[in-house]
Amino acid sequence: MAAILTIDKLRAGYGPIDALHDVSLTVEAGEIVAMIGANGAGKTSTLMSVSGVLKARAGSIRFQGQDIAKLPAHQIVKLGLAQSPEGRKIFPRLTVLENLQMGAFTRNDAPGIAADIEKAFAMFPILKERRGQAGGLLSGGQQQMLAIARALMARPKLLMLDEPSLGLAPQIVVQIFDVIKDLNKAGMSILLVEQNARMALRVAHRGYVLETGRVTMSDAADKLLVDPRVRAAYLGE
Amino acid sequence: MLPILFAEAFNWTNLQQQCITGLTSGALIALIALGYTMVYGIVELINFAHGDLFMLGSCLALTIFTAFGLAQPGAIDSASNVTILLAIACCLVAVPIFCAGLNRSVDYVVYRPLRTAPRLAPLVSAIGVSFIFMNIGLFWVGPQDVNFPDVIQDRNLLGDDANLRFTLKNLLVVGVTVPLMIALTVFVKFTSLGKAMRATAQNPTAARLMGINTEFVIGTTFLVGGALAGFGSVVYALYVNTISYQMGFQNGLYAFTAAVLGGIGNIPGAVLGGLVIGLVQALGTAYIGATWTSAIVFAVLIVILVFRPSGLLGARVREKV
Ligand SMILES: Nc1ncnc2c1ncn2[C@@H]1O[C@H](COP(=O)(O)OP(=O)(O)O)[C@@H](O)[C@H]1O
Ligand SMILES: [Mg+2]
Repeated sequence: MAAILTIDKLRAGYGPIDALHDVSLTVEAGEIVAMIGANGAGKTSTLMSVSGVLKARAGSIRFQGQDIAKLPAHQIVKLGLAQSPEGRKIFPRLTVLENLQMGAFTRNDAPGIAADIEKAFAMFPILKERRGQAGGLLSGGQQQMLAIARALMARPKLLMLDEPSLGLAPQIVVQIFDVIKDLNKAGMSILLVEQNARMALRVAHRGYVLETGRVTMSDAADKLLVDPRVRAAYLGE
Repeated sequence: MLPILFAEAFNWTNLQQQCITGLTSGALIALIALGYTMVYGIVELINFAHGDLFMLGSCLALTIFTAFGLAQPGAIDSASNVTILLAIACCLVAVPIFCAGLNRSVDYVVYRPLRTAPRLAPLVSAIGVSFIFMNIGLFWVGPQDVNFPDVIQDRNLLGDDANLRFTLKNLLVVGVTVPLMIALTVFVKFTSLGKAMRATAQNPTAARLMGINTEFVIGTTFLVGGALAGFGSVVYALYVNTISYQMGFQNGLYAFTAAVLGGIGNIPGAVLGGLVIGLVQALGTAYIGATWTSAIVFAVLIVILVFRPSGLLGARVREKV
């Protein structure tokens, strides 16, 4: 399989401080890769660097062979790289439908966009019911669904999800993870960031452990699930 | 004393007349307020220079009228209607472009490098730009109030012997401001760029993740806000017929107040705020006295903010986190 995303020795940070010191990671086409780590480890910073929102200070980020580390965020989406960010970041005063339309901002194939909106509604029927409502009025779970559906509207080749289970009721988390599995079965490559390490490693093919801005472990997901260090630090056993 | 006051208070014609005056100047205030509110909505900057941008627009309008030979005493009587209409048309094209370009340039040169700096840095810079603009205005039209050619006949459109007066000047203000507000609403609500503007205002990071070039959107916002101030300045000059390098201060302050009153960042709110302030101004002047106008306007602002801290139309949707 070919790598769709290759991060090599990425360094990035805020002000004088580096949040990422040396992050290297690969996502193969068709894979779900989980990135787990404690709060503040640098998971969100990694995704934001890939999306071009946080500028890489050193290292390279290659997406389908092209170095995107220096591209502005709005050009990266166009290449087929979308993100459902931590905390959902729904546009609160745009309607559900408008939120979805914003996800397709880089596209101009109106019929394709309309078809994809119907697909999103089929995936999450509650969004269809609430299509005219302001995004800010949705419940947390509905906002998460909207955030994923909105990211999919870009027709990405790689979907990045930042803590999709954060703050959601257990049965909603199950529903979200089912969607992640289904998307992957349909061929989507996914980079999944989670603090819920157990759930993430169960759906993922491979996983990376991030600690204070460095990758400290990487292995097949089922191996990480039984690794004593992972079990002690992230699975609460 | 009392019966006279009583009679005056219930003079319906007078009240209606004050409402026409108030709504007319309110529409003008609203046009300036839109520039404040749009910029605040998108970069959370109170652009103190906006009122002075409006003032510079009037200066350019005067220069254009001078170039058409309409500014000299007595020139209007001998000028043909075609010349006058050409001068107005020229102003309505050139001044908005000038103000839009100037506003956009100031953003690019001054505010953009401070985008991630603490809030106070761009704010203080905006005050600085305001002073620079005022100095340019002082240099341009001089320290005194300057007459702006009174080219629009003050003929009553409701008939020469009607009790109420709605003049060609009122019509000019309404005829320019209302279509602009409608166009702005359509632009922001339905076009792709307009939606990108709202998205950027609501969550800039998410907007970038959607593939929106937020710097371009911010630049466009400064262009649009500047253009509206430009239109406003031409209409103001034609309506009030006096301009001065200081006119940006009070008009800017009223417009900013209108934006806050309506709910800063909210476009219909700015229009509503402008109309309310125009009405309060006109009614306060007529029934209480011109000396008190500013005090009354701000008293109304304070009272409304006490009951609705985020303005009349502000924060209609609570954000769930
Ligand atoms: N906007 C920011 N400004 C300054 N420091 C930040 C910012 N965002 C994150 N950090 C810091 O960067 C480090 C990594 O944070 P983050 O990438 O959010 O970690 P995670 O997503 O794994 O919880 C943390 O030490 C955090 O405090
Ligand atoms: Mg995070």
